[in-house]
Order: sequence, then C-alpha cells, then structure tokens
Amino acid sequence: MIVVENLVKYYGEYQAVRGVSFEVPKGRVVGFLGPNGAGKSTTMRCLAGFLTASSGKASIAGFDVFSDPIRARRQIGYMPESCPLYPEMRVTEYLKFRGGLKGLGGSECRRRMDYVLEKCWLKDVKRQLVGTLSKGYRQRVGLADALLADPPVLILDEPTAGLDPTQIRETRKLIRELGQEHTMLLSTHILSEVEMAADTVIIIYQGQVVEHGSLDDVRKKHKNQNLEDIFVRLTGQEGI
Amino acid sequence: MRPLFALIKREFTAYFLSPVAYVTLAVFLLVTGHLFYLVLTGLTKPGSSGIEYPMQALLGDEKFWLVFLFIPPLLTMRLLAEERGTGTLESLLTSPIRDWQVVAGKFIGAGLFYVVLWLPTLAYLPILTDMRTPEWNPQTWTFGIDPSPVLTSYLGVLLAGGMFLGIGLFVSSLVKSQLVAAMISMVVSLVFVLAAFWRPDLDTGSLTYRLVYFISVPEHFRRDFSRGIVDTRHLILYASITLFTLFLTVRSLESRRLRA
Repeated sequence: MIVVENLVKYYGEYQAVRGVSFEVPKGRVVGFLGPNGAGKSTTMRCLAGFLTASSGKASIAGFDVFSDPIRARRQIGYMPESCPLYPEMRVTEYLKFRGGLKGLGGSECRRRMDYVLEKCWLKDVKRQLVGTLSKGYRQRVGLADALLADPPVLILDEPTAGLDPTQIRETRKLIRELGQEHTMLLSTHILSEVEMAADTVIIIYQGQVVEHGSLDDVRKKHKNQNLEDIFVRLTGQEGI
Repeated sequence: MRPLFALIKREFTAYFLSPVAYVTLAVFLLVTGHLFYLVLTGLTKPGSSGIEYPMQALLGDEKFWLVFLFIPPLLTMRLLAEERGTGTLESLLTSPIRDWQVVAGKFIGAGLFYVVLWLPTLAYLPILTDMRTPEWNPQTWTFGIDPSPVLTSYLGVLLAGGMFLGIGLFVSSLVKSQLVAAMISMVVSLVFVLAAFWRPDLDTGSLTYRLVYFISVPEHFRRDFSRGIVDTRHLILYASITLFTLFLTVRSLESRRLRA
C-alpha cells in the first residue's frame, strides 16, 4: 500500500532523510518510531505531498506521490504534527470546507461528516468555533478531517502529542478501531502506544531505517527485550 | 473543480469572519462618499464653473489612489502569509488540489471581495444620471451623464484591482507575517501610483513622462478610463502583471515543497 524507495531529503546542506526504504502492506498498522529530529515528520511530509523529496521514490496504493500527486493524495488521510486548523471557523464549517477540498459532493459530504463527528466524539462541539476548542478536541477535529474522505491510507503525525491521559486512551482506542479498516502509518515517541495499537514497527535514526519488522519479530530478534530497551539501543543512547 | 469552488467560498467568507473586511469597507465608503460629495458640489455649482468629467473627479485624483493603495494589500496580506504562519498551509497543500488551483482560489476569493467593495458605489450612479432630469422617468431613460465613461471606469477599476491583488498575493506567498506582507505589497504597489505625483513637474511631451505614463495607474484613470477611452496598453499592462504575479505565486508554492 505504501512503498518508499531510497527516499532522500536535503534541507539546504543538511541531509534530514538518508535513503529510507520500506514497504507497508495493506491493512497493517505501522508504528513509525525515532528520536526527535530523526526524520519521521520529513518522511511523512514527503509521503503526504507537502514536501518533494530530493531523490528516491514513494507511492501510495500504486500512485507515485511525485508524478501523480493528486491521485496519490486522494488515497491519504493526513494529520500533520500539532494539527493546524482555522480558528475562526466552526467545526462543521471546517469539515464541510475540507470535504469540498477533497472533492466530496453535498449529500456524500453530509453523510461522511455525520460519520466522522460520531466516530471522533465531536457531536457536542460541532457548532463551536475551532479556536475555542481545547487541544484534545482540536486533535480530534484533525483526525476527523483525515478520515473525512474515507481514504484507504491514514498517515498520522504524533496524534497523541499534548493530550491528557484520558484523551490519549480515547485516541488509542480510536486508532485501534481504525486499524481494522485502514492501512496506517503512525508516528510517535510513546513506545507503549506502538505496543498497544500497532502490529509493525519501523525505527528510524539519523535519517535511516535501523529496524523494520512485525512487533514480535523485532522482539525476538533482540532477545525478547522490551521495546524501550530496543529503541534506546538502536538509537545509540545506551549509556543514559 | 469542486476543490477550487470550496476554496473560493472559504476565502470569500473568511473576510467576513474578521474585522479587516468591515474596516476596509467602512474606510472605502467614507473616501468614495466624500469624493462623490465633491463631484456633486461641483456639478450643482451655479454659473459656468463645473466639472467636465464627473468620473475623472471621482477616480482621476491621485489622492484617491494614495488611499486606495492600502486596500488591496489589506485584502491579500492574510491569504498565504497567515496559512504559512499558522501551519495550515500543510493541510491545504496535502489535500488533493493542484497548486494553481490554490492560487486561483485565493485570487478569485479576494477578487470577489474587491467587487463587493465597489458595489455600494453603484448607488451613486442613479443620482448622477438624474442630475439634469428634474423628474426622473424610467420610461424615457435619459442619462444625465454620459454612460460610457462610467463603464470604462469600472472596467479599469476591475482590472487595475486585479493587478494590485496579484502583487499582494505573490508577496503574501513569500513571507510568514501578515504585517510584513502588507507593508511590502504597499511599497511595490506604490511604484504604480507614485509616478502620478511627478506629473505636474513633467513636460507631457518628454520621454520621461511617456515612460511614467506607462505604469502610472492614476494617470490612466485621469486621462483615459474616466473620460470613456479604453487604451489597450493599460489593459495589457494590468492583465500581464496579474498573470505574471499569479504565475510567480504558483512557482513560489512549488518551491516551498522543495525547500522546507
């Protein structure tokens, strides 16, 4: 579903992503791990089409994200890090606008809006201005937006960052549910989250993939250590 | 096309969700209303003194253009600079919409609001056309003023506005701060207005005047549009600068993806 080959991204002189390759088959929920600045967000932005890679290839459901960007983006529901929204719009207005951008027609858009409002527990605040919502609700609006056009692939950049424990639990539950129907790439640095929601992990460090495999395989390979120890060892900070 | 329409609708309605729109509308009405008052005073003055071209008194004055200069940058400053500043550009550019559609949507949204800005001035026209017919009779349909300068003036206003909005949109795509976007686009727009202020000092036959006349929007209105003349040179200048700035804006969005 998601194929990345030798992806390289330079920011000026600095090489943020150095030849990342991986493949995500249909129906998998992949936890995308790595320390801050490892290149997680950059890789995801390249996949979502916000950034153009310096070299390498990436495709979503068979559509190349560089040569066929519109069709590739139709396959993706993307939630950017920190989830930027328009504060002056109401939740329903925002979702209607996003639905239009994604090419949803009137009745279909209303149907999908009802579905995502229900699914993301936004029913109570749907008439509220986005600017007045708390962080947790905004995150849900972002998630609702990603789900709106019912895309086969979801790319979520730190969906639980900045949430309180109850909200994290709710979001996790939602992610687990969504994982039944969508292929998902989920970046985070909360390791327990990956263990709960994902079936596959990709660990990225200094712009390179250092580990990729199903959760069980990775554990087995590293002599049944827990994920945190594996993560710390692979990202070279063992002494701490 | 649906994404484009969704974006136009959002950009247009966004103006009414912020105070900027209302302030601009109010100031603009105040200025044009005052100019209209001056025109009416001139037209109704007893004796032989009067105004030859009423539209020239409205739009040919360079002082009007100095006020006008502030309006397009106020309309365009938030278009892309705000999205870049708050990060919403990321969700916009990752939705299935082409870069040129993003630019076109924002430009048309701003253009529609610009048209709304001018709409109230249409109310002045029935009063002007009524000037010399004491009892206005719709059946006879007589114009108190010549209608063609009115039409050409509005044509000019529409196209010149497009040019200023295009400049503003391009500048807005380059910076993150709305204030900086507004300031820079005002300075750039000034090039097309300032030249008119040299006019009294220039010999109209000189090469300098002819060059200045090419880019000086108030001069175009004073000499041509407000007198019912359509000079294609002005139209081509406005249209080409509009298209060029829109092209540059699309390129500027594309280069965003390549850098960071």
